[in-house]
Amino acid sequence: MRSSLTPLGPPVSRDRIITCFPKWYTPEACLQLKEHFHGQVSVACQRRNTGTVGLRLSKVVVLGDLYVGKTSLIHRFCKNAFDRDYKATIGVDFEIERFEIAGIPYSLQIWDTAGQEKFKCIASAYYRGAQVIITAFDLSDMQTLEHTRQWLEDALRENEPGSCFVFLVGTKKDLLSGAACEQVEAEAVRLAKEMQAEYWSVSAKTGENVKAFFSRVASLAFEQSVLQDLERRSSARLQVGDGDLISAYRWNGGKSNRDPGEQEGLHPGLLLAGTCHSSLHFP
Amino acid sequence: MEEPPCREEEEGEEDGDEAGPEGALGKSPLQLSAEDVYDISYVLGRELMALGSDPRVTQLQFKVVRVLEMLETLVIQGGLTAEALRMERDSLRKEVEGLRRQGQPASPEVNLGPDKMVVDLTDPNRPRFTLQELRDVLQERNTLKSQLLVVQEELQCYKRWVSTVRRAQDLHVGGPEFNPQHHMHRQEQCPWYSPTLPPPSLK
Repeated sequence: MRSSLTPLGPPVSRDRIITCFPKWYTPEACLQLKEHFHGQVSVACQRRNTGTVGLRLSKVVVLGDLYVGKTSLIHRFCKNAFDRDYKATIGVDFEIERFEIAGIPYSLQIWDTAGQEKFKCIASAYYRGAQVIITAFDLSDMQTLEHTRQWLEDALRENEPGSCFVFLVGTKKDLLSGAACEQVEAEAVRLAKEMQAEYWSVSAKTGENVKAFFSRVASLAFEQSVLQDLERRSSARLQVGDGDLISAYRWNGGKSNRDPGEQEGLHPGLLLAGTCHSSLHFP
Repeated sequence: MEEPPCREEEEGEEDGDEAGPEGALGKSPLQLSAEDVYDISYVLGRELMALGSDPRVTQLQFKVVRVLEMLETLVIQGGLTAEALRMERDSLRKEVEGLRRQGQPASPEVNLGPDKMVVDLTDPNRPRFTLQELRDVLQERNTLKSQLLVVQEELQCYKRWVSTVRRAQDLHVGGPEFNPQHHMHRQEQCPWYSPTLPPPSLK
């Protein structure tokens, strides 16, 4: 039936449709140098054989010192707006962004955390189960760059080693001259390599590189999700006949099982995933 | 000098009164007042007078008067200094009391240790809520926000579906009765809405 092959999920706005694999910011500090989607991923997408990936919310956490512009960065991307006034984030906030990548719907849940020390104990509870960690710093304040190391350490502590993509993002690019920016970038790239992170310079005020950056984040996360899903299903197929395993796969299909908060039904991830799931039985 | 003036000072008076002018001679030198000096001068003068009018006595009398004048100066000076110190002490005492009264709420802070905080209960902006309460509020906000996003998306789908059906109905005006089942392919745009069933959230 044709309808079983149609992409599932809510409608996606035109500028969230990604067909070509987005490029890095600088080859000196990037997570992948390839120019196209992974071959297996392209094939799976063409055949609409991406399992539950299209129904999932991938978790992105944005960390960094207060006033580096984490909220502004997210707002520029999700709402295409910039507020000149500073308003400290209380605890955590989140946005959900729908993409269509290589024809498959894909959603990011972007968690905006408070940079103030006093909220750290609240925000850190949301680090768990992140597929992408974005550590942000202010390009015009070197101290905030130094602190990214600590922010990353805190986030990695809550996640399985090697399970997260790490990005280092310099914000407020508009405040620096070209030469000054290059100088800071050199230092940031050095640190990014050390952190095994991909480096980006952005400006939420002008919007420079913001969309390109999040497209890159979404595509890398998407590709990883598809590959993980393919791998999981092929290993499950190997053990067909064991009914328990098949049902275990079905219920562990979502990343949500990594986060106990989601299982309690309190996590928005499950709420949305649940809604989408019910739609599967619908028509 | 001859007659002791009436005493205003209270300190050491009882002794002086009981013992008469001679009592002043029995006093501690640190307790002496100008009046005591006049008493002593009275006693000495009386005794010198009793010795008669020998010129040597007169000579001695001059020296004694001189010594008494010196003593008087020293005693008065000492008294003034003591008085100034007493006033200063009293004013400092008052200041300390004032500070103590002002700093009353702050004073227990000293005993609390470095990890404690004192809360001013009259401050409308004082900390009131616990970390757990903030966590709960945030959790609830997050839940509501995600529900809102779901509803917004459903609404968007619903609106699209409605306009699709309207367009289809317009095309069928005058023709056979509109059958939504013919338009199932619209699910491509909004997969979880069947034209024959209400959206899940409305069920």
